[in-house]
Amino acid sequence: MRQPDQHMSPRTRHALEFVLDNLVWFMLVVVLVVFSISIPNYFQLGIFANIIEASSVLGVMSIGLALVIITGHMDLSVESVAALSAMAVGILFCSAGIGLGVQLHPEWLMVPVSLLIGLVVGGIIGAINGYLVVKVKMSAFIITLASYIWVRGLVLVISGGRSAQDLAPAIRWFGIQRLLGLPLTAWIAIACFVVFSLIMAKTPFGRHLIMIGGNETATFRAGIRVNRNLVIAFVLAGAIAGLAGWLLAIRTSGATANLGVGLLFNAFAAVVIGGVSLKGGVGTLPGVYAGVLLLSAINTAINLMGLPANFTQVIHGLLVLAAVLLDAFKQTIRQRLA
Amino acid sequence: MSGAQPGMSGAQPGMSQPLLVLDNVTKNFGAIEALKGISFSIGKGEVVALLGDNGAGKSTLVKIIAGGLEPTSGRMLFEGKEFLAKSPAEAKAAGIETVYQDLSLCTNVDVVANFFMGREITRKFLGVPVLDEPAMEQVVEKALASAGTRIPSLRTNVEHLSGGQRQAIELNRFVHFGGKLVLLDEPFAALGVEQTRRGLDMIRQVARQGIGVVIITHIMQQAFQVADRIVVIRQGVVAGDVARNKTSPDAVIDMITGETLAGAGPAG
Repeated sequence: MRQPDQHMSPRTRHALEFVLDNLVWFMLVVVLVVFSISIPNYFQLGIFANIIEASSVLGVMSIGLALVIITGHMDLSVESVAALSAMAVGILFCSAGIGLGVQLHPEWLMVPVSLLIGLVVGGIIGAINGYLVVKVKMSAFIITLASYIWVRGLVLVISGGRSAQDLAPAIRWFGIQRLLGLPLTAWIAIACFVVFSLIMAKTPFGRHLIMIGGNETATFRAGIRVNRNLVIAFVLAGAIAGLAGWLLAIRTSGATANLGVGLLFNAFAAVVIGGVSLKGGVGTLPGVYAGVLLLSAINTAINLMGLPANFTQVIHGLLVLAAVLLDAFKQTIRQRLA
Repeated sequence: MSGAQPGMSGAQPGMSQPLLVLDNVTKNFGAIEALKGISFSIGKGEVVALLGDNGAGKSTLVKIIAGGLEPTSGRMLFEGKEFLAKSPAEAKAAGIETVYQDLSLCTNVDVVANFFMGREITRKFLGVPVLDEPAMEQVVEKALASAGTRIPSLRTNVEHLSGGQRQAIELNRFVHFGGKLVLLDEPFAALGVEQTRRGLDMIRQVARQGIGVVIITHIMQQAFQVADRIVVIRQGVVAGDVARNKTSPDAVIDMITGETLAGAGPAG
């Protein structure tokens, strides 16, 4: 049977689909070009490096959020989980404030140990979320909203509302040491995007997550262990949020009780702008990274133009709205193509 | 219609060792007794048409065999051994393939991904299983071509395909993976005349390989074209279990509606 596409040659159709699939990258290029032309001092390597650097924590957090949304669920707890991991690392390895100043010998041992602590703390919260979603069969939205609140509460409880400062230099080294003009923390974020993009696109596990987001019943009937995959997705989201917290602690050289407040909504915006559908089953991680960079590029522009920082929130809100409208518009075009 | 010839099958109904035996299987949903005690058997290479009015319990029965539902009581023997699938994965591992009434495809991924859903071909890369897309694409291309199904591109997402093309993917999937027993729950609902004929051919072809087939259908003509044996379920019990060549459509309709208990009585 022929599809009703006589008025369009296969080549234009493929070109159009390519543009639709990678729309966020085109948007990023356009935004960068426009800013470079219209804002003085925007077009500099240093500025571009800064855009990438400033987006590393948000980028890592967005990966975990995107994974869970692609499977058709939701994780609102990533921001609080990152804060808890940062606080755990801060309390143990900071030497001022509420920091205990734990020292390990040799010094570099503190890097893997602190990283592991961040990942495990995040992974545990993720496992709790996943278990409740799968076993109690409650909406992930409600369960992770609860986690968002109680995990932040836990941060306040263990810190007593105070902060930890002066993170051990061996750990902070990641935020200072540069490679090709970017700090190692930014390279960690980029590496995460590469690894998880490959997992989603090339492995059976990634394929199963996408299919679960598309039609959970079908994947269950096909013999895919849906519950197991979902729990793994939540644990991954938690552990990745823990990694984001570790990066956050490095960036701020410590942890405060309200560390990272508001990051969730930025991550959410990046994921939606990046082309991930909230209905599940649609979206790619490279797109999410473009979304993160787009937000970061706009923030940098606002800073450079000297606009009050409060404007960023208005602009982010409008961007999310635009992204959702764009998603609906893309679907209309796709239906015409089909 | 000369395509489907039930008599051609070498396997005879009721051969020495049945593939699957259902022994007084019941299923309650709360106070409702959907199945009140179903007993019948399926031989290797035998095609059994499962008929019955809406709500007779046919789909429930298929889900129990396929691992989607657990029976309330009763037992099943698969290849002579006690059998109970707690999940579709277990049933599949035992060799039971199912094509459901409502399509079981993920429309957000392409034809190849759907064909291999849950049993992707992989190769190891640094110890990590990686999808072997070229190998999978080749298999799908071959399977669809040999069944005469035309789909413009195997890399199109299924959401862009017609209902008939979607059902063709599911049917080709079970033919390719085969297993030992195939359950088909109204597989031809969205198919045209020619595709249905081809689907019936596929069923005979699968049965010739010694695979048992249970097909649920509402269309009497299809049942008589393809089945070796006809089992009628009415109000949760077996109301008739007869060889196709020893009954007639009118007699079967009487069994479905409960006018008379024609032909052979319930299997025991």
